[in-house]
Amino acid sequence: MLTPIDYALIALFVPLAAAFAIAVVTPLRHAGRPAALLSVAAALTSLGASLVLLVQQSSQPDRVVHEAMRWLPSGAASLAQVGIHLDGVSIAMSVVVTLVAACVQIFSLGYMADEPPAAQGRYFGYHSFFIFSMLLLVIAPNLLQLFAGWELVGLTSYLLIGFYFQRPSAAKASVKAIWVTKFADMGLLLGLICLFAVSGGFEWTATLSEGWATAITLLLFLAVVGKSAQFPLHIWLPNAMEGPTPVSALLHAATMVAAGVYLVVRADPLFAQAPNTQLLMAWLGGFTALFAAVLATLQTDIKRVLAYSTCSQLGYMVCALGAGSSIAGYFHLTTHAFFKALLFLAAGSLIHAVHSNELSAMGGLARRMKLTSAVFVVGAFALAGIPGFAGFFSKDLILESVYEAGLFVPWAMLIAAAFLTAFYMGRVVFLALFGPCSLAAESAHESGSSMTGPLLLLAAGSLGIGYFGSDFARLSGGSYHFHLGMSGMLGTACALAGLLLSWLIYGSRRLTPQTFRFLAPVERLARSGLVDRFFEFAYRRGALAFSDAVGFFDRYVVDGLMNWIGWTTIVSGRRLRRTQTGNVRDYVYAVVAGTVVLAFWGLSR
Amino acid sequence: MSGSLLFFALAALILLGAVRTVASRDLVRAVLWLGIVLVVTALMFLMLGAPFLAGIQLLLYTGGVITLMLFGVMLTRRHHEIGVDIDSSRRLLAGIGSAGLFVAMASAILRTDLPAWSGSAPVPAIEIGRAFLTDHLVAFEVLSVLLLAAMIGAIVLGRQRDFDDEPEPIHGKSRHHGTGGRHGKDGHP
Amino acid sequence: MTVQALLLLTSGLFCIGIYGVVTRRNAIALLLSAELMINAVTINLVTFSRFAGGVTGQVFAVFTIALTVAEVVVGLAIVILLFRWRREIAVDSANELRL
Repeated sequence: MLTPIDYALIALFVPLAAAFAIAVVTPLRHAGRPAALLSVAAALTSLGASLVLLVQQSSQPDRVVHEAMRWLPSGAASLAQVGIHLDGVSIAMSVVVTLVAACVQIFSLGYMADEPPAAQGRYFGYHSFFIFSMLLLVIAPNLLQLFAGWELVGLTSYLLIGFYFQRPSAAKASVKAIWVTKFADMGLLLGLICLFAVSGGFEWTATLSEGWATAITLLLFLAVVGKSAQFPLHIWLPNAMEGPTPVSALLHAATMVAAGVYLVVRADPLFAQAPNTQLLMAWLGGFTALFAAVLATLQTDIKRVLAYSTCSQLGYMVCALGAGSSIAGYFHLTTHAFFKALLFLAAGSLIHAVHSNELSAMGGLARRMKLTSAVFVVGAFALAGIPGFAGFFSKDLILESVYEAGLFVPWAMLIAAAFLTAFYMGRVVFLALFGPCSLAAESAHESGSSMTGPLLLLAAGSLGIGYFGSDFARLSGGSYHFHLGMSGMLGTACALAGLLLSWLIYGSRRLTPQTFRFLAPVERLARSGLVDRFFEFAYRRGALAFSDAVGFFDRYVVDGLMNWIGWTTIVSGRRLRRTQTGNVRDYVYAVVAGTVVLAFWGLSR
Repeated sequence: MSGSLLFFALAALILLGAVRTVASRDLVRAVLWLGIVLVVTALMFLMLGAPFLAGIQLLLYTGGVITLMLFGVMLTRRHHEIGVDIDSSRRLLAGIGSAGLFVAMASAILRTDLPAWSGSAPVPAIEIGRAFLTDHLVAFEVLSVLLLAAMIGAIVLGRQRDFDDEPEPIHGKSRHHGTGGRHGKDGHP
Repeated sequence: MTVQALLLLTSGLFCIGIYGVVTRRNAIALLLSAELMINAVTINLVTFSRFAGGVTGQVFAVFTIALTVAEVVVGLAIVILLFRWRREIAVDSANELRL
């Protein structure tokens, strides 16, 4: 019988072995299909191991398996440890990660079939590496290993966003993603350093004074803002849609961007000691939720709608964590993983069918692609929080928690965001699936089974996961009872109102966008791209100017000093050389002069 | 006192001779003036009660060194330029320097308390001989080795050597820039 | 005849010798001036031997004279060589060791 550690090791290292094989064995990679199947097999193995662990953990929810070994030895203790930490939180997350990853990879078998085989090999190699990196993060026993996984996941994101690197926009988008997240990761690194300096280790169970706790958690939160695309560092996420759609589904919807939320959940003991940080989180999360929802209503590219939607939902999670309820945030993370991945994959099918991302190229696809449209609607309802679907339960929990924590303004922002969420999803549904068929949609057809299978699985998850809320809470060390309070009802009412409005405008065309002319300034503001422009300005005027100054200092002061020393040496050498005349009388003269001087000096003392 | 008169006369002669030695254009005259200086110094030694030393001075210095110098002068003459010996342009600085040095030393001397004339007897040669063979024996032996070395060195240096080409006369300093390699002495062909 | 007078004499002789060494261009003249300086030192030694008692000063004077003779011998040998090389004995001509 294998121990839990063995299962964890299988889940962790089998995808790494697959990635390594694909990277090193070039014929395998260039063959394409065999590499893909190897990667899928590794993902399924990981999934199997994680499911076994989940079953084991469900019977004993409080079991914690913690194995760590010395990594950076220093003196008697070790500076850092690597290992495995298995408890309800990490096992649940690893199941989510491996399940969505497996679905995405199976979907990719069909989606990426048109790519050249070498590119396919590369793609699946990156996917396997991603599973390894994400699991490294999830089962980390301390924050240092989590940081290592964090960075690796960022690397994988860069590689996959820039998968079509021959396209300039894709290359730029991947660089933008890594710039913004690296800037945010400074916070994580500084926070870890401070944590080590104050507590002597990287454990999240450290007790700190409130001042230090606030400082460290603020630094960690900076990293969360970057990774989970909160305002103002959300700018990389819409551009990240340059990557293949399955990548968007896996990384930028379900798992990688959720790593930020996972960090906060994991380090909950630290954040609980810093109420000021939590207050900031709640406000920022609420604002992001609303802000991103507004932007989502203006997009014409279906993937961008979903990107901003992810941003918004992450704002919900961050707000919930700021309210102190890590269970609410974590639950929403899980449900979101399912329905957002579903939406992205289904969108991928739609895009594949009409060969375009634009909503204007789609229309009436429900008639041509029944299965895909059906699951898309399921996902949309789950996202909007329609009762019965998964998103309803988790969103309800968040709204309740935020209200009970007394954070009324963030709560109001979340309610407004709920309205807008339903509105923009309805807009997408009505524009893409219903209505008259566009030109491209005429020739669309349903996707193959390798693509529809995962869609169905994820749809089942989007429907059913919500009912496992209490089990989920038990695993995470808390409790959950569903009850429909004022917040829940208000939220649902807003969602239904949003859907109704979207039907009125885009479904039955009873209202036109002209009716909402009074919102034009908001639209102008949202379209202006101010945040991007601000960052560009700050970079050009701030960072570049600073580095020019530093460069000037380096070139003229530091190097100048060195050059001056060298120049002085050469010049003085040249001048001193003239004393060596070779003339005996000059030397005699020098000796005599020196003697005379010495005599005078000696005689004067 | 006749003693001090004699002393001042001798001192004056010494200084005069020295000045004529360094100032004389003609090399032979310079050598001869040096000879006068050395002879008068021997007389001074007599006055100071060192007869043996006076004898040595006359024998070695005046007899040996002056003779050698004269030989050297004669062997190194350029026939068409008898007596021309160009002095340098550093006369002023050298004059100031040596005058200054003299002033400094004189002031130090005059300020120091020194014992007066004690009027003791002259030192016989036997005392010097005894000192050589007892207190300063090692130095004595080393001195003889030194003299041997000097003789051998002079012989070695004075040998006729083969030169690759005729030594060339130079007119002024400028002709010797960069032509050092053409002489066989320094080993570069 | 006081010590001061003798010491003044020798310092004067020494300084004249210095002047000669710095000024003269001819190698033999240089040696002559060096002779003057050494002579001054010898007189000094004898003076101190006289006024401090004992015979040590005179012994040193003998050494000095012997050494001087050796120096003159070797010096003249070098002058002869210089003459053979350069056909004149201005010390300026031996300036090969120039940088």
